[in-house]
Amino acid sequence: MIKFEEVTKKYGNQEVVKNINMHVREGEFMVLIGPSGCGKTTTLKMINRLVEPTSGRILIRDQDIMDMNPVKLRREIGYVIQQIGLFPNMTIEQNVDLVPRLLKWDKERRAKRVRELLELVDMDPDLYAHRYPNELSGGQQQRIGVLRALAAEPSVILMDEPFGALDPITRENLQDELKNLQNKLHKTIVFVTHDMDEALKLADRIAIMKDGQIVQLDTPEMILRKPANEFVLEFIGKHRVAGGGPATVESVMKSNPVIIGPERGVEEALALMKHKGVNTLLVVEQDKRLVGVVTVEKLDKNRRRASTVKELVETDIPVVAAGSPAREAFNTLTANKLDYLPVVDEKKRLLGLVTKTSIVNALASFVWKEETA
Amino acid sequence: MNPLLELLTRSWADILMATWQHVYLSLGSVALGALVAVPLGIWLSSRQNIARVVLSIAGTIQTIPSLAFFGFTLPVLGIGVLPAMVVLFLYSLLPILRNTYTGIREVPGELIEAGRGMGMNDRQLLFMVKLPMALPVIMAGIRISSVYIISWATIAALIGAGGLGDLIWGGMNVYDIWLILAGTIPAALLALLASFILGRLEKAVTPRGLRST
Repeated sequence: MIKFEEVTKKYGNQEVVKNINMHVREGEFMVLIGPSGCGKTTTLKMINRLVEPTSGRILIRDQDIMDMNPVKLRREIGYVIQQIGLFPNMTIEQNVDLVPRLLKWDKERRAKRVRELLELVDMDPDLYAHRYPNELSGGQQQRIGVLRALAAEPSVILMDEPFGALDPITRENLQDELKNLQNKLHKTIVFVTHDMDEALKLADRIAIMKDGQIVQLDTPEMILRKPANEFVLEFIGKHRVAGGGPATVESVMKSNPVIIGPERGVEEALALMKHKGVNTLLVVEQDKRLVGVVTVEKLDKNRRRASTVKELVETDIPVVAAGSPAREAFNTLTANKLDYLPVVDEKKRLLGLVTKTSIVNALASFVWKEETA
Repeated sequence: MNPLLELLTRSWADILMATWQHVYLSLGSVALGALVAVPLGIWLSSRQNIARVVLSIAGTIQTIPSLAFFGFTLPVLGIGVLPAMVVLFLYSLLPILRNTYTGIREVPGELIEAGRGMGMNDRQLLFMVKLPMALPVIMAGIRISSVYIISWATIAALIGAGGLGDLIWGGMNVYDIWLILAGTIPAALLALLASFILGRLEKAVTPRGLRST
């Protein structure tokens, strides 16, 4: 449906989009995601020629868009922007039927279309058609923004962070509505966002972009299972799953254990424990290398004789490597009747802490997610 | 008898005539000014570099003392209604031009983007979005222009254009305070009236969706 062939966009000497190849299939919901400045919006705007590529070709239904009249092209493509951009001098009806008016549909057909669309999102046409945008809430305004893009029945719709400026609850509602609409209408949608939750919820496929390039383009499932590189891994962050479940120690650990330096005072350690509500502190060097642990009993017993944590630290403790299977950590915990197990990397630097609770939590969230999906 | 009443009974016809001359002199100039400045302002709104030059030229015209300006035109255009109108017309340009230019420049970028992205051509973008949004600002420019052209038109009497200035200059020549007032008061009333009417018009052309309730 929409094909990018080696598309590059330069502003001066700066390449904001570098040699992109991408094929958006008919009826597909494609999400472009990435940090700001990654070129995702530029990529989107090249589809309706608000931005023109420096080199390469973009084809819609095998036709090079540079051979098409840009005004005509844009009327055949729905467009929704983050700032909503409803015309304040026009009523809701006039906003929604704008493209049909540009296309010179007759009055009856337009009026019918407006009613149809408003009913599609459960907004009573008699109540809303003749209101002005400033009489509507932000969420209602963006609903109209989406309807306006649908009005002339385009088969392609471009959405540039359409829900980015809305409050979280409204955003979720509109995402649900959009998903329902898409299930009914099967448009080809290209959707830009920087919100991974939103991408996972809506996308058929996700293109993750960085520095003007597509780093990975795949289904949400595959991106979560097989992130292409460190950047993608970091970008999907909390959503990551490893091979169908919490497989590695890293995926079940708590990443912010309470730590203290070896040169710290005993009283300070006790205060920290009290403040954080823990009975054990992990003792680490400046470079995060794990020295050992210190317990509240030991500190309390020796608070007269010792002055620093270093004197009371227990260094002979079991640890587990970050990459090892979660099962192994679980076995070690139960076999030795331990409460916790520090997780270290290959240089013995502390990464986190596995407890029975953290394993159960990881399992639970995995199970729940499987059920709701 | 009250000297003002006496004056009114004696020369009401003259005052009325002068007022009428004043009205067409000033409104004519402003109308011409708007006819030129609004399209010019629209044209300039997409040409920032030229706009800077044109606006500073218009600004310079504005700083020429009006008395001197009437003097300059004297050898070229002579005296009478025509040269007076030319000068007043030139004076009326700047506020209208500047307001048209900024009014259009300040239409929010997202509206331009939305319009363009939905497939409006330049003309549609102008008439469906830019002009309706900028119209209140343009009208304000016309109002400001009208008010001070009405007051400056009194000077046009010096080059024989008639109007209420005739009464004022005549009164000054013969030290007749009442005659001066007979010119001044109607001129002031005219300015107020123009400001009031154009102010209402400004509100009327403000799109309903932009009015604060």
